[in-house]
Amino acid sequence: MSDDSGLWLLAAGPAGATALYWALYRFYRNTDKSHSFEHETEIDAKPVTGSDRRVDSISGTQEKRIRGDNVYEYRKRVARVKTGPE
Amino acid sequence: MSDPRNTPPPLPRSASAPPPLPAAVLDGPGSPQDVPPLPGSFPLDTSKLPEAIRNEIEAPDPVAIDTSAAELKDGLNRCPKCGATDIRPKLGTDILVCLYCRHEWHGARVEEEFGLGEAIDQLRGTVIASGARDIDADTSALMTFKCTGCGAEVTVNTESTMTARCHWCRHVFGVNEQIANGAVPDAVLPFHIKKEDAVARIRQFVDKRRMFALKAFKEQFTPENVVGVYLPYMIVDGNVSAAVAGKGEIKTREYTRGSEKNKQTYYDADIYQVERQVDFTVDDLPLESSAERGNLDTRANTNNIINTILPFDTKNAVKWNASYLAGFTSEKRNLDVEKLRPRLEDQLLSIARAQVEGTVRRYDRGVRWEQEQLEVHGTRWVAMYLPVWLYSYHQPGKNGGMLHYIAVNGRTGETMGSVPVQQWKMLLAALTAGTIIEALAIAFLVAST
Repeated sequence: MSDDSGLWLLAAGPAGATALYWALYRFYRNTDKSHSFEHETEIDAKPVTGSDRRVDSISGTQEKRIRGDNVYEYRKRVARVKTGPE
Repeated sequence: MSDPRNTPPPLPRSASAPPPLPAAVLDGPGSPQDVPPLPGSFPLDTSKLPEAIRNEIEAPDPVAIDTSAAELKDGLNRCPKCGATDIRPKLGTDILVCLYCRHEWHGARVEEEFGLGEAIDQLRGTVIASGARDIDADTSALMTFKCTGCGAEVTVNTESTMTARCHWCRHVFGVNEQIANGAVPDAVLPFHIKKEDAVARIRQFVDKRRMFALKAFKEQFTPENVVGVYLPYMIVDGNVSAAVAGKGEIKTREYTRGSEKNKQTYYDADIYQVERQVDFTVDDLPLESSAERGNLDTRANTNNIINTILPFDTKNAVKWNASYLAGFTSEKRNLDVEKLRPRLEDQLLSIARAQVEGTVRRYDRGVRWEQEQLEVHGTRWVAMYLPVWLYSYHQPGKNGGMLHYIAVNGRTGETMGSVPVQQWKMLLAALTAGTIIEALAIAFLVAST
């Protein structure tokens, strides 16, 4: 279509090579594997409670997700608050 | 690993020597701090890969199931019926057999014996089973017995084994007394997977990964050298409350701006302050209680492989009896409960985050957790030996090279391994693929202009 998409296509070669290398490397070496204790341990949880409060709104952002989205990164620790909950 | 006897003596310490650096934090891509991918998943679309590579990747993995009984050599301890010391575990079961009178008996399951698994939600404080108590630094790993049969002295090195036979009168000794050197746990989970089965699983695992494997590894591959090892773990029950807080965004509008050639997508969103609390109990969370095994730095070792074959059916563990270890080696625990607590809390927070994930699905632009709290009401610690078949290959290299493990869970048969790669082969394959894609891209560009 335009010059824009053409330039993007040129990156396909190196990107493909890198992707294949990493995929194969991990398939052989399994460096990304570990015990997924979040799902493989017997956990008995009471219903989750909580609150949701609208505090602000943004308009006209080009980012697809919230910055610093870590909802699936269970193992990335964030600031630890020491006092008891509630 | 390098042999300590071959390394030069340490340099004399000068007064200005800097203090040792703190251990590097294990995170970033590829480290076990990442949530592991789903089992059997592969990041690329295999249908687009060359057939040879695809066949390797799509070949079946070893199935994780229990297998039937077979028997093992050697034995120990005293038979409750006739008093003979030649006792062995009946492989594939949790039964001990006396070789003299053929009496068979089942070890008491600790789950019922000590009421583990019960009333976890009532747990308060730290409950430590006797085999999990703190290690006394002065206690030697070497234990000497006076043979009751002939009076000779028999030494057992508890670093690697828990039984020994008197060379003079053939009496067998097992270390059953809970000495404070960390060698005797509360419970043991006997091997169910027999050696031939483990060998077959390892062979199947490696056969899937031959094309880019290191040449020397393939040449020296002898899965028959697999060893059965009892590795030390702490099995932890916990009663905890956790809370997390952060910001979530819900998309309210999506629109494009700009001309046909330069289209940009914009989003409007509402920002929410999100808070979640959850109370939960964890039953039988396994933690490596050996400092070496608990170090999951994938740049320096492949212990994450052994970590991956967790969990075990620890509910079926039996009360400690050294007879179960006949014919196997063992590793000794060297970490106390307090040393393992940070790791436990880290895993409990991860579990809490996984628990609340389902309640924040409506934030379609995601949630950024900013704060987390953990209140541990009570924990219960039980030391256990868990059965692992280990095949290892030492790849020479800088810093002592790399020890690659292929591990089979001695109960479920779950198999995981690290196969050393032939770098140039893999690079060549990647470059070839990249060149072909690039050629196609250029051809497409030329054709379209």
